[in-house]
Amino acid sequence: MDSALSIGFAPGTFAIWFALFAGIGTCLVYLRAMQLAPAGGAEPGKGYTDMVGLARRFYLAFAGAVFLTSALLLKVLISHDFRISYVASYSEINLPFRYLLSTFWAGQEGSFMLWLFWGAVIGFFVIRTAREQEPPVMIVYVLSFLGIVAILAKQPPFRFLAQLPPDGQGLNPLLQDPWMVIHPPVMFAGFASLSVPFAFAIAAMWMKRWDGWVVRAMPWALFTMVTLGTAILMGGYWAYKTLGWGGYWAWDPVENTSLVPWLGTIALVHGMFLQKKREKHRKINLILAILAFCCILYGTFLTRSGVLADFSVHSFVDLGITGWLVGIIVTFFFGGLGLLAFRWREIPTEHRLDAEGKPVEEPFLSRSVLFILSVTLFCASGLVILLGTSAPILTRVTGKASQVATSFYNITHTPIAALMAVLIALVPFVSWKGETLASIGRKSVTALVIGLVGGAIAVFAGIRSAKDLVIVTAACLGMAANAETIVLFVRRKAIRTMGGYLAHVGASIMLVGILISGVYERKEQVTLVKGQPVQIGSHTMTFTRAIFVNEDGVVKTPGELNQSVLSDRRAKQAMEVEVKTSRGSVWKAYPKMYQNERTKQMMANPDVQSSFLADLYLSPQAYEPGQPSRVQGSAATVKQKEVTTVDGVGFQLVTFIPDRSKMNDARPQVTINGKFKVTVSGKTTDVTAPLVMFLGDDQSTQAIPAAIPGTAGSFRLTKTLGSDGPAEIEVIGLNPAGDAKPAAPETFTVDITRKPLISLVWGGFYLMMAGGIVAMVRRAMDARQAAIA
Amino acid sequence: MKKAYWAGAALILGFLALGLTTFSKSMTPYVSFDEAKKAGRTVQVMGGLDKTSTRYDTPTKTLHFRLVDEKTKEVIPVVYTDVKPANFEDAISIVAIGKYEKDAFVAEKLLVKCPSKYQGEETEKQYGKKA
Repeated sequence: MDSALSIGFAPGTFAIWFALFAGIGTCLVYLRAMQLAPAGGAEPGKGYTDMVGLARRFYLAFAGAVFLTSALLLKVLISHDFRISYVASYSEINLPFRYLLSTFWAGQEGSFMLWLFWGAVIGFFVIRTAREQEPPVMIVYVLSFLGIVAILAKQPPFRFLAQLPPDGQGLNPLLQDPWMVIHPPVMFAGFASLSVPFAFAIAAMWMKRWDGWVVRAMPWALFTMVTLGTAILMGGYWAYKTLGWGGYWAWDPVENTSLVPWLGTIALVHGMFLQKKREKHRKINLILAILAFCCILYGTFLTRSGVLADFSVHSFVDLGITGWLVGIIVTFFFGGLGLLAFRWREIPTEHRLDAEGKPVEEPFLSRSVLFILSVTLFCASGLVILLGTSAPILTRVTGKASQVATSFYNITHTPIAALMAVLIALVPFVSWKGETLASIGRKSVTALVIGLVGGAIAVFAGIRSAKDLVIVTAACLGMAANAETIVLFVRRKAIRTMGGYLAHVGASIMLVGILISGVYERKEQVTLVKGQPVQIGSHTMTFTRAIFVNEDGVVKTPGELNQSVLSDRRAKQAMEVEVKTSRGSVWKAYPKMYQNERTKQMMANPDVQSSFLADLYLSPQAYEPGQPSRVQGSAATVKQKEVTTVDGVGFQLVTFIPDRSKMNDARPQVTINGKFKVTVSGKTTDVTAPLVMFLGDDQSTQAIPAAIPGTAGSFRLTKTLGSDGPAEIEVIGLNPAGDAKPAAPETFTVDITRKPLISLVWGGFYLMMAGGIVAMVRRAMDARQAAIA
Repeated sequence: MKKAYWAGAALILGFLALGLTTFSKSMTPYVSFDEAKKAGRTVQVMGGLDKTSTRYDTPTKTLHFRLVDEKTKEVIPVVYTDVKPANFEDAISIVAIGKYEKDAFVAEKLLVKCPSKYQGEETEKQYGKKA
């Protein structure tokens, strides 16, 4: 760690420092405004209004400084200012503009910057949403970002290098993918928006206003759910399409650390809905809002501190900020929960009272209970994943850092998925008032029939595992039940209120997709020989040629590549595989296999043919260019004063006579003339076999064959071992069986996977997010009306 | 309503139990080569690649190599039956997950760690930091 602060590119570093002070100023002025706040709903005085106005100007300065820093970082990246370490580390001249854009967040500092950028944008909306709660909410909101600002002020992405490199190191080739251009901005929008429910929850406890915050923060929780969810899916899709792991999810720490806050957010959305309806269960939401936010921080710590470096393929290295991250987490975690503990007894837990003044016991089979169970389930899932991801840290305490196998997640999530499917299926039939099993049965006849039909289809398709059948049946039932409700809502023209049901239809579809595509995929590794069709399942596959695909997806032979065009310069080698279905349609797959110019690492990208029923997934494993057939003779070592017989011919070394006459040629060379006595059927002849050795930059040797008198064969001197021998020779043309070295065929080894119904994963997800957006719009309208009323 | 809380609590406890038992079962600890030889269960070992020891048999898709412990200089032979991982020879260290059987560590999975060329540190090492 540096003792002195490195300023580097001054405007950028000063801008981020300015943001730090403006941020602190914003909090202080809002704090002053709170002291001037009117008591108990009185009309706010001029002092208060003025102070809030001043605080807003401070916030404007804070956000402006953040925007300026971002703009400056973008500017130095686009102008290729390689004086700056960050620019030189992550970009290069030869990078298309869209990837130049993604170098912004390719490194740690830049991704923190992106997080902060969204935080600054969202803050303006928070001011509007918070209304009379603006001072406390904004203090907490800005505070939640100040840690990141401080980290950036300490490690600004504007540090200079001592020497000016000619070009940058370039962007990691794996990130040079369109999905990776949009995935991080969406992800960090989700991260940043999670500060909103947190700020509202803390402000609620601070001001002891227990219910209003839920109404106002709910659209933001839904916003987080949609953005974070979309980003997670994009990441999975990128892994599937580009990385070639063979799947979209690998339970890697980096993936898990965005999944857990997402699950927490979904739990929070459900909890908020419950509190809004029943005006109780307040503590659940306060806890969830604090924990979901802390999960983001904890995830950042796990992936950025280097603690998991030995356990993840793509953990970041330590930037020297581990202590800062721990400090931030501890502050918000203990600060938040501490405040909750302090207020615990004051939080009202109202129960409705019956005629005798006793609390009304809510019936067991009521919607409240379903909501509580769903929140529990999401928390259980999140905790289990958190436990698995933290395994290396937890076990380090006992001595040996260990990680869990991915089976841990799959085993624990089977019951979670099954219960989730059942809860989703029950929701439409269970009212707030409560139900009996009989009344649920009466209402659910249609859906039950559809669910059983789904289960029957699954049995027919060959699924025999009981737990898989339960999940499929429950999910089909859930799909039908919620779809039925949606139809009803559409008829009643109440489209606004159907968000939850739509999301549930999507979730059910997705569950089926995840289960079937994961458990029932068929994977086979084959080595395809060029030009030879191979039957795999119902497909005939032929490896036709190694070819190039340029950046625009145009297939070109090496001769067709135009080196003056960027897209052609960035062309990648691909393997053309012709895939013929039993119905005769032909698809040409181009899984890529190429060497990264800069790092000399082999890169492989799969190719996928998608259809509704199944994806055919070709993931390249190895390519052997092959060799044409060639002649290889019988090798032998020949000495002086000793006859060695090879293929019936006797060889004896006489001497080596070097010829140095061409030492000063344009291509300097020395010829070693090997003098041999060659004996064929008792007759001995002197034969000279020359070995030309090229010196200089391109050292190589050329062995010139010498005919063996009286035969059709010849021999070459391939190596001299010492000035008096022995000599290594190769005899060609006398042993027909040994001479011809067969051609090594050009082969391509590929993992071929058939993933049934993976389309349901994406399709279900789209519906789920569509439902989330419908709900978000509705709750945003609620929030506005509630604020007016 | 009380029942609901009980049901929730039971659910959490159930998952906690399931989670913890699965947790301890699916744990693959990092161990030294010596311990790996004695363990008799799935573990993971990490070491540098002995570049002279690599042998790949194409027809059977079997990769043989030796890992060297950077500190103790202990050596363990590893067998891996699958396509040779890309960049295998460039590895700065290799993590092998598997089980020691008879006279070699039979790896189910290899994590090949290549020198990362995409970290600011590297650039700063090469070109120096300006104070």
